[in-house]
Amino acid sequence: MGKIQEFSVLRVDLGKQTVTREKIAGERVEKYLGGRGLASKILYDEIDPKIDPLSPDNKLIYATGLLTGTAASTGGRYMVVTKGPLTGTIASSNSGGFFGAELRFSGNDMIIFEGKSEKPVYLSIKGDKAELKDASHIWGKKVNETTDMLIEEFGDDGARVSCIGPAGENQVMFASIMNEKNRAAGRTGVGAVMGSKNLKAVIVKSDDNKVNYDKESAMEVVRKQTKMLKEDGVTGEGLPALGTKVLDNIINSTGLYPSNNFQFGTFDKTEEVSGEALVEKGYLQSNKGCYGCPIRCGRDVKLPNGRSGEGPEYETGWAFGADCGVDDLNAITEANFLCNELGLDTISAGTTIACAMELYENGYIDKDEFENGPELNFGSSESIIYYTKQMAYREGFGDKLAMGSYRLADSKGHPELSMSVKKQELPAYDPRGVQGQGLQYATSNRGGCHVRGYMISPEVIGAPEKLDPQELKGKPEWVKIFQDLTAVIDSVGMCLFTSFALGLDDYKEIVNAGTDFNYTSDELLQAGERIYNLERKFNLEAGISPKEDKLPNRFTDVPLPDGPQKGVVSKYKEILPKYYEVRGWTPEGEISTDKINELGL
Amino acid sequence: MKIKVKLYSLFRLNLKTSEVNYEFEKNIKVKDLIDRLDDDFSGYFSEKLLESGEIKTGSIILINGKNIFHINKLNSKIKHGDIVTLFPPSAGG
Repeated sequence: MGKIQEFSVLRVDLGKQTVTREKIAGERVEKYLGGRGLASKILYDEIDPKIDPLSPDNKLIYATGLLTGTAASTGGRYMVVTKGPLTGTIASSNSGGFFGAELRFSGNDMIIFEGKSEKPVYLSIKGDKAELKDASHIWGKKVNETTDMLIEEFGDDGARVSCIGPAGENQVMFASIMNEKNRAAGRTGVGAVMGSKNLKAVIVKSDDNKVNYDKESAMEVVRKQTKMLKEDGVTGEGLPALGTKVLDNIINSTGLYPSNNFQFGTFDKTEEVSGEALVEKGYLQSNKGCYGCPIRCGRDVKLPNGRSGEGPEYETGWAFGADCGVDDLNAITEANFLCNELGLDTISAGTTIACAMELYENGYIDKDEFENGPELNFGSSESIIYYTKQMAYREGFGDKLAMGSYRLADSKGHPELSMSVKKQELPAYDPRGVQGQGLQYATSNRGGCHVRGYMISPEVIGAPEKLDPQELKGKPEWVKIFQDLTAVIDSVGMCLFTSFALGLDDYKEIVNAGTDFNYTSDELLQAGERIYNLERKFNLEAGISPKEDKLPNRFTDVPLPDGPQKGVVSKYKEILPKYYEVRGWTPEGEISTDKINELGL
Repeated sequence: MKIKVKLYSLFRLNLKTSEVNYEFEKNIKVKDLIDRLDDDFSGYFSEKLLESGEIKTGSIILINGKNIFHINKLNSKIKHGDIVTLFPPSAGG
């Protein structure tokens, strides 16, 4: 039996309304692994990095990972890669659920959307048949409505839908792409690009499983790794029981839990909104998993008012909770449900509201701008729900929020109040208390983000080993390895959470078992480094200067005012030169010719 | 001396206890506290927090918000008024 090697691609020209098929040769796949890596390579080769991300010149790539749809543990993920409107950098955002695996089953490893459709359309893939169909009747519909309508029209309950909601149609800068209603390719505004192309959805159902790999040799490795994931305290017990929201109390207890737009490092109402509270208040109904996942960290939740859905995840709960000073778990969860239905990134949605609250409380936003809406004061649970709806539809003040916190704060003359890097909002860890994570934020290729290199794992949680969060020495090396390894995991199509229990050698083992390639661990990690450098190259050519490798001044100039980390600041500037050196870049942060040659870029 | 122990995650859910207050005659070390908790909760704490006598990967033990890993690990001293916070292996993102 053959093994995975070349990639089968559907190329969809939205201008001409054509769908064609092509292949990507195995040598190229071997170099860039699939998923995030291979899609980044295609994007880099096919578009000018300087283009307007919301113009027809941009391309939107759906890419499955090297092992998506195989038996690999958590191997169900797909990645959406494009030039992002929020940051102007390369944007890539991945999602779990079942859509990615179904797409791979159908024999399509990647879809490249180019141009712009004159009228709203969706792509329908039924077995071997792929065609564009009119989406005029679903344009304007929410994610849940769109999903139900398309499945009914398609006539097969087993079909999987990935789509945008009103936020994507309205090109909200941080609109998400949603699959199975509740799973999100959330960050970087990929949904806005989809909306700019008048592309509403992709629906797919395979006839049979066309993923061609050696199941027997793969299963041997999968059995071993499933056992490792089940036996690990984090992936086998902590995440299934409490989901990602187990972090609320951990991060708050260690003084890294930003509240009121990162003005403080703790939130005194954390007990009210934590993962434990979600269980104890009886909101949690059950945990659920994505394709091939033994961890099952998803949350099925029902509120006292009868509303049910998925979430909130840690980041979401924090963004609408502590960061907005809100301690009402009902309102936070409701805002999460709205983001899923409207197709919004929860982190940027919540933190943009938090930024607006600080702007308003400082007198930089006029009350009249809210029209009839509630005042944006920290702690207002009413406003997080009201303005989440408003921003998705770009109504009233929501139209300004829809630009994201940086553009909003900049328009009021106070860009320093946007807690963002490269215009993307930071997630739920104050970088003053975790020096490596701060460096990672500053250098992340898609702007403010924790999942391009999750330094919280060694610096706070202690996996794979415990590092002192305030130590600077060694952090540039750790950040580089974490960024490169994450690029591997994203490109392979597995979930980042497996890395709490699995290491580089384990990823090598499953990749080699499932594909025709025979990587050493070093070669696999180097592929991650190649991907990371390619993304950097795209950003540099897009005009994102290395000077943008920076954190908001609050983190370097204002010591944390409270909690166990009181008095600390981020010292990332001290270790940035070392990071460039470790990366083999010039002291100015440009990629050196030697590095380009070494990686074969 | 009096100390407060805060319990989270699986400790809190499985033991239905969010906080334990103890009084000791003299200052103790973290390992003494774990022994005491084991006595009161059928050995549950060392099972979750320790592996071969060391802190298990992913377990978090804090004294006043500082991870004992960077104080003196299981030999870190606990004194009157301290708040000890315990998490079994937990993570997210």
